[in-house]
Amino acid sequence: MDQEHSQPHYLSLKKLLFNMENSIAHRVFTSRFGSPKQTTIIVLLLMLLVVSALVASANGSFNLSFIDLILGKATTLQSIVMLEIRLPRVALSALVGASLGLSGAALQGLFRNPLADPGLIGVSAGAALGASIIIVISPAFLVNSFLGPFLLPLAGIFGAASVIFLLYLLTHGFGYQGVTYMLLVGIAVNAIAGVAIGVLTYISSDAELRTLTFWTMGSFGGVTWTLLTPALVIIFSAILYMLPAYRKLDLIQLGEVEASRLGVDVKKLKYRVILSSAAAVGASVALSGMIGFVGLVVPHLVRLLGGVNHNYLLPASAALGATLLVSADVLARLLIQPAELPIGLITSAIGSPFFLWLVFRLKKNDY
Amino acid sequence: MKILLLLFTCLLLIPKVGACPQASNTSRITVAGGSIAEILYFLNMEEHIVAVDITSNYPPEAKELPSIGYVRNLSAEGILSLSPTLVIGEDDMGPSEVLTQIKGTGVEIIVVEEQHSAAGIIEKIECVADIIGRRVSAGDIIRKQLLPKIVQLEALTSESKKAPMKILFILGMQGGSPIVAGRGVSADGLITMIGGINTMSSFDGWKPAGAEAIIEAAPDVILISTRGVTGFGGIDDLKQHPALRFTPAAINDKIFAMDGMEMLGFGPRTLSAALSLAEKIAL
Repeated sequence: MDQEHSQPHYLSLKKLLFNMENSIAHRVFTSRFGSPKQTTIIVLLLMLLVVSALVASANGSFNLSFIDLILGKATTLQSIVMLEIRLPRVALSALVGASLGLSGAALQGLFRNPLADPGLIGVSAGAALGASIIIVISPAFLVNSFLGPFLLPLAGIFGAASVIFLLYLLTHGFGYQGVTYMLLVGIAVNAIAGVAIGVLTYISSDAELRTLTFWTMGSFGGVTWTLLTPALVIIFSAILYMLPAYRKLDLIQLGEVEASRLGVDVKKLKYRVILSSAAAVGASVALSGMIGFVGLVVPHLVRLLGGVNHNYLLPASAALGATLLVSADVLARLLIQPAELPIGLITSAIGSPFFLWLVFRLKKNDY
Repeated sequence: MKILLLLFTCLLLIPKVGACPQASNTSRITVAGGSIAEILYFLNMEEHIVAVDITSNYPPEAKELPSIGYVRNLSAEGILSLSPTLVIGEDDMGPSEVLTQIKGTGVEIIVVEEQHSAAGIIEKIECVADIIGRRVSAGDIIRKQLLPKIVQLEALTSESKKAPMKILFILGMQGGSPIVAGRGVSADGLITMIGGINTMSSFDGWKPAGAEAIIEAAPDVILISTRGVTGFGGIDDLKQHPALRFTPAAINDKIFAMDGMEMLGFGPRTLSAALSLAEKIAL
């Protein structure tokens, strides 16, 4: 039986961020993607995503014209650069943005905590640990096998999966005690992974250290369709598995006890949300390194735009997350070309001032 | 009068500007910098080394000495526990507070400057020789072992410098975009040494470079550290990387891997490394 009770200080915040009237009562009467206004926002965000994807495909440090390519006037090298370097990169940034935004929104809903982000359950740290082991130690018997180029993403996925498995064991199948307990376990797991990464950092050489540092700041470089396809499958299945949980995520805002009285299987919901976010985030981090603040900030932005009910929040967060990362990657590629800025640097540079503004705004509203 | 004369001779004997001071006591030397340890072994002065830092991994015997940790993160007590009389380091030795603490106990600390060129390597060796008071025997070793290599290198590169190859140096490529050498880093010096020009000379330091930018730069030759290759699989896997596949270097099989410290340590080994790279490129 769940024993978690809402702490008093949540209440005013809840009023602000999860407007009850708006979410529970109205949801029954609204369309599948929320109110007409919310549906419009989602459509607009999707259009914005298409535009930013077009801009991202048309710009890069390699000189090629989009129109020439469509007209078939481009050289072989130009079309190869477009098809095998630029397009997978744009696809990856959209995919990672969608999975970070969506997981952030779902986890904030599940934990009823506006500060939750995909990093909080330890998935990113697990993936980072897996990647660090490969970067610093790179076990020879693995490196020289056919796995070579896939080793880093595989290690990332394996690390993320191990953390989730550990979390599953420690919380007796995600059901033991309340979400706060889970959050604390996640923080502890994060810290443990942090220690292991610290040890690896200490024993690494200068070159390894540099690779490690840049990896933790994220990059969409070096992705191929071979690497992208499995991630595409994992992330899409995770998203499809998560989206139908929107109604239960609305109900759990009332508290775990109340939600279970209203017929929500809370344990199953946790299992569903955590597993699918872990898979989506794990696959993302494995391919692109750590990208901060998207999972935290995007859902807040979406709430400010249109509301808090999850049938709107989840798809809109995915669309906005994708749009943001596709645009941020254009900046990463172009700002200091031929060199590249780490993408995590850009998202954090935009994300942290926004976050600060959000905190001040909360204060004004008597948080 | 005698003292004046002695002083005068001393003044005459003080080597040219930039030369290094001789240490007062070289009986127990602690080394903080891979190339310094390499030079001391090269000059057959290793019997006075009491400890090295973790970047001093060549020759292999150096690794058996007690370790004082990472060169930028030294600890005063750890070093002093080995009761050294002299600490020789490269200019990245630190932190400076720790160096001040060590100096405060009366241990001499000498920093050896570094220039990333063939002449720089000779100067560095001469500097270390000055510090340990072995200028004469060092001059002998340099003349016999290093000067021939420099002459050979000059001969090889004088031709290629007329139409220099565009060279890209990759440190590692596991974390997405390859991390490449820009202006002012040791690899930039190595590229100049072997008669090429750095394709990534529009930015400073080591930075990740985008796949498209690398294709656009079209390097004729790609140099990478062995560690950078093993982390990725092998040279063949490397050639399939989207950033490298379409470069002239990958198409013409001009991707060369070599030990990172050998290429970038700028100790005696770097001259041999540069020579063998210059030979491979000239082919």
